[in-house]
Amino acid sequence: MRKAHRQAFRQAPWRILQQTTSNTLLGLVALLVIAGMYLAVNARLADAGRVLLGLEAQRADLMRQSTNLGAQLADLTTPQRMMERAASLGFQPAHAKDLEYVVIDGYVPPRGFDAPPPIGSPVMPSGSLSPAYTETLADWTLRMVELLRGVR
Amino acid sequence: MNSRRGVLSPSAALGTGSVEGHGFRRGRVYSVMVGMAVVGAGLVAQLIRVQFGPYAPVFDARARAGNGRLERVVPERGLIFDRDGTLLATNGTMYYMEIEIRQLNETSRREIASVLSKLLVLPMDDLLAQLTYDWAAEGQYRIRLTREDPRLGRLPIRLDPTVAGVLRDFLADPLAPDLSGLDLVPTSSRHYPNGTLAGHILGIVNQEGEGFFGVEGYYDDWLSGKSITVERTFIPPDARLEPDPPAGVNLVLTIDADIQEVTEIALREAIQSTEAEAGQIIVMDPRNGEILAMAAWPTLDPNNYEPWLVKAKDDQSAITPAVAAQYEPGSTFKIVTMASALSSGAVQPNDVFVDTGLIEVGGVPIRNWDYGAWGPQTMIGCMRYSLNVCLAWVASQKLGASSFYGYLTEFGVGQLSGIDLAGEVAGQLRTPRHPEWTESDLGTNAFGQGVSVTPIQLITAAAAVANKGVMTQPHVVREIASPQGTYRPKPVVLGRPVTPEAAHMLTQMLAESLEGETRKAAVAGYQLAGKTGTAQIPGERGYDPKWTIASFVGWGPLPDPVFIVVVRLDKPTTSPWGSVVAAPVFQEVVERLVVLLQLPPNPAVPMALGG
Repeated sequence: MRKAHRQAFRQAPWRILQQTTSNTLLGLVALLVIAGMYLAVNARLADAGRVLLGLEAQRADLMRQSTNLGAQLADLTTPQRMMERAASLGFQPAHAKDLEYVVIDGYVPPRGFDAPPPIGSPVMPSGSLSPAYTETLADWTLRMVELLRGVR
Repeated sequence: MNSRRGVLSPSAALGTGSVEGHGFRRGRVYSVMVGMAVVGAGLVAQLIRVQFGPYAPVFDARARAGNGRLERVVPERGLIFDRDGTLLATNGTMYYMEIEIRQLNETSRREIASVLSKLLVLPMDDLLAQLTYDWAAEGQYRIRLTREDPRLGRLPIRLDPTVAGVLRDFLADPLAPDLSGLDLVPTSSRHYPNGTLAGHILGIVNQEGEGFFGVEGYYDDWLSGKSITVERTFIPPDARLEPDPPAGVNLVLTIDADIQEVTEIALREAIQSTEAEAGQIIVMDPRNGEILAMAAWPTLDPNNYEPWLVKAKDDQSAITPAVAAQYEPGSTFKIVTMASALSSGAVQPNDVFVDTGLIEVGGVPIRNWDYGAWGPQTMIGCMRYSLNVCLAWVASQKLGASSFYGYLTEFGVGQLSGIDLAGEVAGQLRTPRHPEWTESDLGTNAFGQGVSVTPIQLITAAAAVANKGVMTQPHVVREIASPQGTYRPKPVVLGRPVTPEAAHMLTQMLAESLEGETRKAAVAGYQLAGKTGTAQIPGERGYDPKWTIASFVGWGPLPDPVFIVVVRLDKPTTSPWGSVVAAPVFQEVVERLVVLLQLPPNPAVPMALGG
């Protein structure tokens, strides 16, 4: 069998070349597959990282919005505003002589206000990413062209 | 040659070795070469841009610093609530304006300066100077815009969310002015929704997030949490979830926002009607030392605290006068003197003193407030008519220096009350051990001259009488909520300076005198006890002949008081007397207080009694 192979290669030497090429290509394909897999995994990792960074920023933004809304709500319900609102609705501060106290057996006064525990503090972004990291070559080229044309 | 022929032979066999076929292949090869050349040229261009382009220094700095940067992360400052959950201090977002220097061009420099000067009413020249300065020469590629404050120097410009929103719209709109290079950087800022309400209690927080004065100053370490340092990465695969820094605690104050509001309104009206220079009112629960309200005039808005920093440079007591503004209390101090005398057994309520209108103590003549002689008076009469001569006699001849000053020390006079507000001062008391003490001090101290107290010290001492002889530490924080759990401080008993019997006797004496002589402080349906005070103001050349500090201390409802109120008015113009200007303020506050505290009237006290 081996003798037959040798005979065949001797009669058609291009087959040796073809075999070498095939083996090289096979190795190359294997390398490409491995590189592709590596690239795919890395791309997914990078994507996950980007999503994580994005979510962190989003969380910080939502926390900030929540705090701002809480502050706005507090602005709208200050004792002064509530008194003004009550007065505009025709109410006036009660005096002792206006009140009647009734004793109710078994009445348990409500428990006082309990403060909510502090919520986790999101990391405050220290500003948006510099354009140095976000501007692509195409963006830059476009910007330069527009600048040369006198357009912002 | 063979091998070459061998390679080409399959193509030749297929009959594709024509001239057209060769041309087509060559065309393909050229296309690939051109494509690769373009890609290669792009790569080279990008390399040149990164290496030598406008952002080269940024990349260079990044390369030197590594792939991430160390950032100090400061947690959100804890919230402050009143006892019913009204938010007194919270956090908002403000925005710094930062400029990416390399992103600026001539148009954007001019338009940023123009837009900001119009929007924020700032001098355009100043903004333009910052935008045209050669920051790169100093190695700075990102700057924060500042403004000039005439008193505090250059301060970073901070924008509220509304203005920041307008600028952000400009940045997003291609037809809007060119603001390229401008970046809005969010930062946490302290916000006080109620403005001036309880401002003197809360204190202030500066732009760096540091608390000063009041609760913000006293609990600064607790409220601010712990900052941590994290390494922030710019490479997505290296991104990881950073831990949150340990948050600051939330505080619940003993303050009732409604009572605080009522008290501040009463004080403001009193200041306007008496044309006084300043004033304070404190409302406290004598049973546990909880401060329910603490009003001060002029009011302080912690949202705009800068003018107060300047004021505090001259007068440290300006921001928290209730715990720092010491004064000679005058006749309200007779409560302490009489309580001491009753507790020691030196006098009884019905003991008689014959007032001749003059007594000498240590060679110094002491006279009554009206320079009159009131004849035979019981101790009840001495307190009712606020007789200086009688009280000087009690202190000097019945109690004696050792016993008198022993009681004053027990009452905490000249010592810090320990209230949880930053900036408290101890007041001044010269005891016989003091080198400058003279025997005449014994006579004058008895009716509140020559001794300095703060309003919080006076109310703490008087609260001991109201609370059956038990003196509790005043405090403003009721609950501390941390991630680990909730902590509620227990009332601290500072001492028992007088016996319950003495406290009861004095309370009854003061209730009688309030119903008899100080009807302007009485409230229909409620039995109250109280004492007026009209104190002279000491200066470098003796006492001021014109101005006084008018005050009133009262508590109720008897027999089991749940509130004690101190009113202090500095330099009232319409009348110098505490009974005329301060007592009605007490009445006004208590009329609202009994409603807000849901205290039913005493059926034994007529509802038409109020004066």
